[in-house]
This record gives sequence, C-alpha cells and structure tokens, in this order.
Amino acid sequence: MAEMVKLFVNGREVEVESGKNLIDAFKVIGIEIPHFCYHPALGADGNCRMCLVGIEDGRPPLVPACKTPVAPGLKVQLDTEKIKKIQHDIMEFELINHPIDCPVCDQAGECTLQDYYMSYDLQDSRMTEPVVVKGKRMDFGCGVVHDQERCVLCARCVRFTRLITKTGELGIVNRSDEARVETFPGRPLNNRYAVNVVDLCPVGAMTSRDFRFTQRAWFLTRDKGICHGCAKGCNIYIDHNREKYKDDVIYRFRPRLNEQVNGYFICDEGRFTYHAENEGRLMAARVDGKDCLGDYAAQSVRAVLGPKSLILVSPDSSLEQMAAIKALSEAVGARLSGYSEGYIKEGDGDNWLIQDDKSANRAGLSLLGIDAGKETFTRLLNSSEVLVSFDNDLFIHDTGSEFRQRLEAIKVIAVTSHDGILTKMASIAIPVASYSESSGSLVNIDGMLQHFDRAVQKNTPYFDMVELCGMLGSPVATASDAVNEIKKVIPSFANVEGGLKLTASEATNVPA
Amino acid sequence: MEVKILSAKFNIKDAHKLEVARQHGAYSRLDKLFAMEPVAVTEEVKSSGLRGRGGAGFPAGLKWSFLPKGLNKPVYLTVNSDESEPATFKDRFILVRDPHLLIEGIIICCYAIGCHDAYIYIRGEYTTQVKALQAAIDEAYSAGFLGEKVGGHDFKLDVTVHRGAGAYICGEETALLESIEGKKGQPRSKPPFPAVEGLYGCPTIINNVQTIASLPYIIENGAEAYKQYGTEKSPGTHLFGISGHVQKPGMYELPLGLPILEVIEKVAGGVLNGKKLKAIIPGGSSTPVLTPEDAKTVTLDYESMAAHKTMFGSGGIVVLDETVDIVKLVENLAQFYHHESCGQCTPCREGLGWILKIVKKILRREGTMGDIDLLVELCDNIEMKTVCVLSAACTMPVRSYLNKFRHEFEAYVNQGTSAQTDVKQG
Repeated sequence: MAEMVKLFVNGREVEVESGKNLIDAFKVIGIEIPHFCYHPALGADGNCRMCLVGIEDGRPPLVPACKTPVAPGLKVQLDTEKIKKIQHDIMEFELINHPIDCPVCDQAGECTLQDYYMSYDLQDSRMTEPVVVKGKRMDFGCGVVHDQERCVLCARCVRFTRLITKTGELGIVNRSDEARVETFPGRPLNNRYAVNVVDLCPVGAMTSRDFRFTQRAWFLTRDKGICHGCAKGCNIYIDHNREKYKDDVIYRFRPRLNEQVNGYFICDEGRFTYHAENEGRLMAARVDGKDCLGDYAAQSVRAVLGPKSLILVSPDSSLEQMAAIKALSEAVGARLSGYSEGYIKEGDGDNWLIQDDKSANRAGLSLLGIDAGKETFTRLLNSSEVLVSFDNDLFIHDTGSEFRQRLEAIKVIAVTSHDGILTKMASIAIPVASYSESSGSLVNIDGMLQHFDRAVQKNTPYFDMVELCGMLGSPVATASDAVNEIKKVIPSFANVEGGLKLTASEATNVPA
Repeated sequence: MEVKILSAKFNIKDAHKLEVARQHGAYSRLDKLFAMEPVAVTEEVKSSGLRGRGGAGFPAGLKWSFLPKGLNKPVYLTVNSDESEPATFKDRFILVRDPHLLIEGIIICCYAIGCHDAYIYIRGEYTTQVKALQAAIDEAYSAGFLGEKVGGHDFKLDVTVHRGAGAYICGEETALLESIEGKKGQPRSKPPFPAVEGLYGCPTIINNVQTIASLPYIIENGAEAYKQYGTEKSPGTHLFGISGHVQKPGMYELPLGLPILEVIEKVAGGVLNGKKLKAIIPGGSSTPVLTPEDAKTVTLDYESMAAHKTMFGSGGIVVLDETVDIVKLVENLAQFYHHESCGQCTPCREGLGWILKIVKKILRREGTMGDIDLLVELCDNIEMKTVCVLSAACTMPVRSYLNKFRHEFEAYVNQGTSAQTDVKQG
C-alpha cells in the first residue's frame, strides 16, 4: 500500500496516494480532472491545458494537474469560476476548428470532446470564420485511418510510437493551427502495435479501418475477455452487438488495463483475432457427411469411444475444458495427448506482448499432466482406430502427407468451434462454443491464472465443451465439477476463491 | 546621450578580427578573471545589477546562483542569439562588429558557473553574423583563448555555434534547448527550470548575447563603475534599436533611464518628416503600445515601463506616426504571432489564428462591435493559460491596441472605413 497524503480539494480535505499526479490521485477518489493529452502510459505532456487547476496561495497559482504531483497540504481548486471558465475556454478553442461531424464520426459516443462538451462547455460556437481545412481519411498504414481535422494535437499517438513502440513513425508537422499529425513520406505506420493509437486517441482522429462505419459505439455491449491470440493472455474488452433479426456478433477487441499482464495495450494480431470468432465457424453437427442434431452426433461419438481411441486436447482450451476431457479419457479408457507443436511460431514473439506460442493455455496442459510430446502422440496415433480432436487444429501448420494418410486410415472425430481441414476429414463433427461464448480459466506464459466469463450469446448456442464431455461419459460434466477437479489436481490452485477467479490479479480498468 | 561600453569597438575598422580587437583590449581581462574565485565573479555580476537583456530583465548574477550545487553533471551555458523579436536589432551588431567581446564574456560567465561547453544558438537567417562569429571563434581557438587552456590558464572551454532554422519560438529558452537537442522547437513546461534541468537534462544557464557582452566591462571596471550608468534598479547601458517613423533610425547605446520622448527627439532626430507622433512600441513588437500621452512620463528602464503597464523588452523602439492604421498594424502583428505559434498547446495554437481571422474580418468591413469585444475576451482567454509566453507576446500588445485605439476598430465597423483615410499616407 502506497503512502497516503492529505491535501485539500475545493476546500475539502481528502486523502490520496502519494507519488501520483493530481489527475491519477483524484481519479481514485472519484474526482475527475478533465484532460486530453495526459495518459498514464505516456506520461504528462501538458499541451492540452484542459487540466489546469488552481492552487490556493500557489506560485504559480495555475498549474497543469498532469504535471503536478500530490503534496501534503496542497490546496487544489477545481470548482472556482476561474477554473470553470478556463475549462470552457479550452473547449471553445479545441472546437473552433473541429469539423463537429459527430453524426458520421466513429468516435461519437465514446469521444472525450463530446463528453467534455456536455460537462464543461455547453455553449454555441462563436466561430464565424471558415475553419482550417486539413487532411481527411489519410491511410497511415497498419489499418489506421487518420482525420487531421478532428485531431486535437494531444500527441498521444506520436508519443506512443516514440515512447512505447520506439518506431517513431508519427510526428506533428507545421506550426500553429496548421499543425497536424503526419507520417513521413513513404514511411507509414509499421509496427505490430499500431492500432493502439486508435484507442489512445481521445477523439475521432484515429480510426481503425477494420472497425470504422460498422457500429455506433453506444450499441456495443462491452464485456471483459482474455485474448486467445497467444500465450500472453492480454486482457481485452469484447465489444459485440446483436442487431435486430441478426446474431450476436463481435465488432472489435480493445485492450483492457491489467498492469500485471498487458498494461494498456494489445498487439494488432491479437486485436483482429475477433474475426475468427465470427467467421469460419462450424455451424452444424455432421455425421458421415450429413448435417444432424448435436445430440445425435454426440451419441454417435459415445458409441465409438473406447481404449482404441486417441483424444486430442487443444492448448487453447480452458483449464475446465482440459479437466473435463481428461476425465472423459480416463472414464472411457481412451488415450490422451495435447500435441500441438503447430501452435508455436518459432521466433515470432517479441520481448513485450507477442509470444512465439500462439496458444492461450499451454501451461494448463502440463499443470493437468497432459502429455503434449510429438513422439508420444505419433506412437499413440499409429496404434489408434479413432482420433477425437477437441478443438485442436492439427493442420494449423503443414504436417506432411504421411500424417495425412494416417488420419485418412482411421476414424476422425472433430469436436470443434471452427470448420477446417480436420472437420472435412472427420466422419463426425460437432460444433462447440468458442471462447467468447463460454467461460473458463487460463494460465498464461508467465504462470498467471486468469478467468474469463462468457461475452457473446449466440441465438442458437453451441455445446459447451465441458457439458459435451459429460454427455460423452465424462464424470466432469459441469463447470463446478471442473473447478473441483482442477483444485484436486493442481494444489497451488486449491485455495483460489470463487471458482478460479483471481479478482486480486485483475486490476480494475481505467479507461484513460 | 550615447555612451560606448558595448559598442566601443563598433566603429573601429576590422574590430571583428582578433588582432585589432586585442589592440583595443579584447581578452585583456582574463588574467584578472582567473585571479578571482568563480564565486567572486558571480558576486561582482550580482552587485553590478546587470539584468538579462533578452527581454525579461531577470538579474543575471541571481540566475547563475540558481544552479544546483554539488551535482555530478556538466553545466552548460547557452547564449541566446536568436534575436527574433520583430523590431529588435542589437545583438547582430555585437556578432558582426565585436564578436570577441561576446567570446570574452562567454569565458567570464563559464568560469563563474563552472561550464566547459558553451553553445551559441544563432538564428538561421543570420548568415553574415554566423560567418563572422564562427571566424572569430576559430581565431580565438588558434590563439588559445578557447580550447584546453583558455588564455594559458588552467580552464578548458569549448564553444559551439548552433544555427536555428527560422522559428521565432526558438528564442524562448526551453524551445531553444529542444532545438539544440535536435528536436522540434517547442517550449518545455516549467518547472523544472533550465538552471536545474536544461540542455541534455543538465543544469543550464541561458543568457542573451548582450548580457554576456556586458560582462567584460564589469570584470574590468567593477560593479560600481557599471552602476554609474542607468538607474538604481536598472543599471548599465543598453543597445536600443530605434526604427519606424524617425529621422535617424538605427542602433544606439544609451544608459538606461532616459526619457523615451527625449531619446526619440534628440537621438533619433524626431518623427519622420515632422509628422505627428501616434504611438510608440517600446521594446519589440510584443510589448504593449504607448500613446504620446503615456510616453510623456516613460523612461527607458524596467521599472518605468512596468509602471506604465508595458515592458522594457528588447530595447527595440518602434515610432509610429499619425499615418499608421492601427487595425492593419494589429493584423500584421497577429499574422506574425499566429504564424510563429509552435502549435503545441491549445489556447495559443487555436486562439491566435482566431484573433487573426477576426481582425481580417474587421478589415474586410464585415466586423461587428461584438467582434471587437470578442477580441478583447480572447486575449484574456489565451493569456497565461499556455506553456510559454508566446501567446502573451501577442495578446498583451493586441489588448493594448484595442484599449487605446478602440475607435479605429470601431471606425471599420461603423463607417466601414479606416480612421486613417483623412490623413495623407506618408
């Protein structure tokens, strides 16, 4: 626990954490100091002047809160007429050259300018002269589209490329109200985290080509999730919506603050993995090439499961799913493997968020004692008559014709969320819910246990994999069964309260 | 009225050359300097009352004493030679006619503050000046006045000339530091002040060319001799650039404290062609304007200027006669400051452009009385809300024109004409 400091705000004594600036310290106790340019991950720049606050008896009497650390006895004024007038004036300046095109702007509904206009301005424009004309829909690369006229020149995006990715593609060129964010000629954004500038942008100047014009922000439901793009397990928001007469569809992933995992950011690849949640899904159960009801397909699987079956677990599955599958294999006497070398892209990771291992829960395999070795898998496969893959995409990388021939010689069953080569080979295919449609727990590459809840509810829900295991004969047939089983097998999780939710490790999100 | 302290060698042929300069006393104070303790040098400058000649008039010796003690970091001196304030043309004379005076001053300052690397930041447009200065520095190096052993004494000093690229804002001391560091010239938030965290994060003293060039005289003759000139609180002499509608525009070295009207009359020969005086810009374009009535009691020193709600500034006096259209003057002024706003912080970036647009609107005879009030309000809304004082450099004079010559703005609004149409344009 950080040291506490007593100071005054609007004449009232408050206690805040030391070592923070006024914006961050007051936010914790529910007092907002408006700001555009300050961002906790990017530091204080002091250019927007929106956070100017009064300091009683202070020299100077007016300071930017972002650059002012808390100090004992400081008398901060936020509600004086002078400060309110400054906030109003700054808003007026920000808006005189702004196109005010909210009806067609993607940021509308989650725009700092809009919010602050309602809170601090609420006056008609006094601008009678033509506004400054700047560039529109500029392709900045990496799927970032820039609108210079909407920009408030807070330089968050510029600082992101300089301080965080250290690639420095963005800069502000020109001076005065002709100043604008630009890339260097012929050198667009070129880094694997570029789309974070869209989240960082407090207004609609930075938009994502992927998301723009697809949804109004206020229609989106924001649920918490964990990115399954790699072993890092970055915390995300899953923004989804069920439009009238349509199904629940994900429109974007956004980073969610977790200081212990990903901080404020996610990588672009992870961000766009949401497409795979909407597309390429296995829609209906199939037995011998014919669509059928899931229950019938499950019965067909149950009928063939036995000691000559090899059950394949996916390193993307949650701990709960792994525990249920493992229990199933034990109940029916089948063999078990977690072979999934294809999920590892050697040398692809960086030393920040992106990992070589593109699976979300490989650590879970070893914690539950599931062998993932290639040798074991090949040996077991060669002596098996049935292969049941639980969402493990064996063809994620080219595996060679010999392997393919072997699969063609046996009965292949695919229990999976996605359609693919394996489902086409399979004599029985059963669709199951993907991670955004189910809940579960993961252990990331740093050994951190994280829990996620269901975000998306499809009109016709697919089988929950744990429950399906129950239908196939597993004694672990519900989420709570699975949690009990996991706690039994993994002693270090025995004392985790409330399922496997580590509430303490999940920082509350601070949308900056 | 004129005195010759800084300008002593200005009219000597080839005084920019080391040989000639030395015949007239250049570098003759070094033996005395190095016999003194650095602290004693600072004390001497403190007691001379020398004030920063860049415009703000902050006491130079006091500024030096703000350097943190016992820090294990280099200390830098940066000489501000950006001289970008419109109507200011004083430092250029030193750079071209007596650069060795500046170099000697740099040695004195560096010895006092313990600096071994000095930078001279010179505006990009000063091509003649930079050549003259660099030639003088090269000469000083060859003669041993710069380098490993300054003048044979156990003191190392390197001087680097850094050219700007044509931005007014780089005369602001922290924007200047950013520019030297190779970044876009944008002012830093203060604190920390440069004396604590300046160039490359190290303690840095930034002084104007004229401030530094005043040092050799103080070291040679002592603080008391320097204080013989000027007033008690504004001692010494200053290079005044007098321009505009006067008979004899030019640069004159004068002691501080002289009545401004007398200087215009006697030194600059009075208003051009015997016209009536309309207004005086006292110290560069950013200083609030004086009417002839105001000017009656104004003397050329920091205190008198402040008492008349204007600023001493850079000593660039602009005399405006009765033919001047104040609204057009404000347009010109706003155009300049809008163009030169670095664009970093909101009020200045957006506000100065807005001011310019409104003034243009008034000049197009489309303005309203409300626009004039809006101009006044915008000045208040912008000023002192920004990172640096560039915005104030625009709003302070603009406000003064609006207050003192409001009728000229109203003439455009009401009659649709300039208040100057009845005066024959000179």
